[in-house]
Amino acid sequence: MRAADLAKKLRKIVGSNAVLDQREDLMLYEYDGGVDRGAPELVCFPQTTSQVSEILKLASKSGVPIVPRGAGTGLSGGSIARSGGIVLGFSRMNRILEIDLENQRAVVQPGVVNLDLTKAVEKQGYYFAPDPSSQKACTIGGNVAENSGGPHTLANGVTVNHVTGVEVVLPDGRIVEFGGKANDTCGYDLTGFFVGSEGTLGIATKITVRLSKLPEHVATLLAIYNTVDDAANSVVALTAACITPAALEMLDGWTLRTVEAATPAGYPLDSGAVLLIELEGVREQVEEDADAVIAICQRVGAREVRRAANEAERQRLWLGRKNAFGAVGRISPSYYVQDGVIPRTKIPQTLAFIEDVGKKYGLQIGNIFHAGDGNLHPLILFDARSKEQTANTLAAGKEILEYCISVGGSITGEHGVGMEKMGVMPMMFSEDSIDVMIRLRNVFNPAATLNPQKLLPTSRSCRETFHPGHASLGGAEAGA
Amino acid sequence: MAAASINVWQGALSGIVGAANTRECSVEIERVRPTVEIAPASAEETAAVLRIANEHGLSCTPAGGLTKQGIGHPASSIDVLLSTRRMNQVLYYDPGDLTLGVGAGMSLGEVAQTLVPHRQFLPFDAMQPERATVGGLMATNSHGPLKHFYGGVRDFCIGIEFVTADGKVVKGGGRVVKNVAGYDLMKLMIGSYGTLGVITSANFKVFPLPPQTRTFVAAFSDLDSAVKFRDAVRKSSLTPLCLEFTSPQAQEYLREATPARDPDVYSPPTPADYRPYWRIYIRAAGSDPVLARYRAELGSAIAQEISGSDEIALWRWFSDFEHTVTTRHHNAMIIHLEVPCANVQGAVAAAEKAALDNSCMAAIIGRAAAGSLVVAVIPLAIGPPSAMHYANAASALRSALPKDASAVVAYCSAEAKPRFDVWGTSPTDMATMKAIRHAMDPKGTLNRGRFVVSSK
Repeated sequence: MRAADLAKKLRKIVGSNAVLDQREDLMLYEYDGGVDRGAPELVCFPQTTSQVSEILKLASKSGVPIVPRGAGTGLSGGSIARSGGIVLGFSRMNRILEIDLENQRAVVQPGVVNLDLTKAVEKQGYYFAPDPSSQKACTIGGNVAENSGGPHTLANGVTVNHVTGVEVVLPDGRIVEFGGKANDTCGYDLTGFFVGSEGTLGIATKITVRLSKLPEHVATLLAIYNTVDDAANSVVALTAACITPAALEMLDGWTLRTVEAATPAGYPLDSGAVLLIELEGVREQVEEDADAVIAICQRVGAREVRRAANEAERQRLWLGRKNAFGAVGRISPSYYVQDGVIPRTKIPQTLAFIEDVGKKYGLQIGNIFHAGDGNLHPLILFDARSKEQTANTLAAGKEILEYCISVGGSITGEHGVGMEKMGVMPMMFSEDSIDVMIRLRNVFNPAATLNPQKLLPTSRSCRETFHPGHASLGGAEAGA
Repeated sequence: MAAASINVWQGALSGIVGAANTRECSVEIERVRPTVEIAPASAEETAAVLRIANEHGLSCTPAGGLTKQGIGHPASSIDVLLSTRRMNQVLYYDPGDLTLGVGAGMSLGEVAQTLVPHRQFLPFDAMQPERATVGGLMATNSHGPLKHFYGGVRDFCIGIEFVTADGKVVKGGGRVVKNVAGYDLMKLMIGSYGTLGVITSANFKVFPLPPQTRTFVAAFSDLDSAVKFRDAVRKSSLTPLCLEFTSPQAQEYLREATPARDPDVYSPPTPADYRPYWRIYIRAAGSDPVLARYRAELGSAIAQEISGSDEIALWRWFSDFEHTVTTRHHNAMIIHLEVPCANVQGAVAAAEKAALDNSCMAAIIGRAAAGSLVVAVIPLAIGPPSAMHYANAASALRSALPKDASAVVAYCSAEAKPRFDVWGTSPTDMATMKAIRHAMDPKGTLNRGRFVVSSK
């Protein structure tokens, strides 16, 4: 079917002002926060579940790919229309449908912005726990698709731990429910299975999430080190001491200096690394843990441990962390962020390995990451206009991921596989495992019209090569 | 099945696992005796066994410690009881990373012993830990009072290995605490009752053992006051490990299991001890100042404080509640309820009424805030209940629940089972569940006819 014909049919479903088909409009939907690009033929903004259903029926009849998109802050190319087709934008399905504090649940449409849900309930003492760094912009529908994490998911769990039900439109247009407000249900846990499926099984049109109680007390600490090694060893020591902070973030010296230049957060410029540690909960417990954390950090070589004296100081420390990707974007034409995970006992040796990789390829690599759960975010700086640098960047990225897997880790902790890491899935999963995942995908999305060529390698040849598309500029607003 | 054909596949299976690990089955699963018990030593052996079973159209029941095989519809026949008991090794343990991988056949008790030297534990406090295995408890999505704080096994299982009906060894997740690579196969397998594959190993995040805990007990003369107290605790800043509820009759079963006596009806041995109290049990962890804070906040509602070995025993009894009831009363019915928190009060009242209207009484415990309740329906001494009484009690309770609730009959007499649907309804789309079952096991090799996806 021609795009013009399709656009006409779509306008009948969603109205004339909810379909984009002009080249200059479509260009805005070519990219997300990652490195890949792909132009859709049409962009369409449904407002209701039944419109989504009608669109999917139309698309599956015509064999046109559908790519769902929240705010486009994803970092793995999940919302890129790599085979053309229709991008479904959810910015008009952005209503909080129900707030049910008795059950600590909210029911939301997929386009609701993550932080807006917290804002709607924080006066009553509640919040939505998953906090990706893009939470001011990213949507809960996107969080569900990617099973997003964030700094505070160390203690609180990632998105899947906070979703109890979804209404889903399947590629054939059927509208189905999985789960509800109860914690568990009879039958398969399709809610849990759906979260993190990256838009390859169906489209969530209504999401039931858990609301958490705000902690009564928070302590935010900044531990300052002369070397990355001491900071890494502190993470190992804190984990071994069985203290679970709400968040435990690391910035290495290069990164913290870059951040300070853009967003003065109070990180000392002459330090080798800092740990940003947050504890929350019952006041007495938090105070005890804070004392214990300070003692451990000092024992393992912190030259100083500062504590935020008030909310303003706390916000300032966090601002640096949350704006870090933007700060890097200021100084480098392009960057490539990895999302590997390693056992926490392996952090010191992995950081040493990353440094060696940087030297080997002559690339600057900054480290800013969720140290508490071993989720690394090495930022490789490069200039995409240089073919050599681009090739070196991809090669360095692959070496780092291979190392993560060799120490028992994973290729992605929270950014998703998307189109970026499809090629490295076989490094983690056997042919049989991938075949069974494809079998499951085919139950929902047999013709693969919904978000095609994402997450699962399609052919054997594709499984053996590493090609995260053509790397270009990393998005400055995104990051985790 | 003809004897000659049985000999063929039995010989083949025995060739895979060895004669020593092939034996006549000594147990019955809901009155069905499996033809043979096969105990593979690895995922690869399990795959070889299942390929043959699938090829010959056999019916296989995966089995661990046999503590939960009473759940579900009885199978019409079982050819192979596939025991995981030889897959009982620790696969890796990284205390510094707080992660652990074990074979599916390892018992919860063995897991605990592995972790104790490092003062760590797995918050999986399901019943009968000495017998129940990791794989079986995952397949049945079992839980105990610690679910309040730590969540269910879906929240701390980080990796899984299983074998499909057609003999593929599949891995999902990994060994690290955060991971979004590939579909979340852990979630799909947990609670799937062995119908999508045989779990052969699993990886978990483990947790530090709290240095000290204390249990505070509040007693109320009516359900409404107990629920109000629960809500006050929920809305406070306290973060207890457990927030458990008991109905007055449940007290009788929070003790060592005693064998069935005649008559097999509710008859407390010491009726003088009986007080019609509804209780809320709050288990807190922390230092002395933290526990003092609990005392101050909970205030005069606290009737009793329990610590030390009494406290350990009490929480063991909570985990073992349904086992204690069914050991004492072979004719009891156990229902697992999952309801939104605000529906707990209504569900408890409905369960009490449904039991009394059918010549039974209800003993109820459960996770008061998580909405996971265990309802024991126990016959009274006024005449043995008929099969219809059980069916009517389950149906009356279900009709009082909201649509996203579940009420699964986890234990009841074999005579009563054909009278009703033990699974009840699910808020999750049945057509999709059936399609998944069909894609994973088209011949119905695994647990044929037993799970909700086999209901008419």
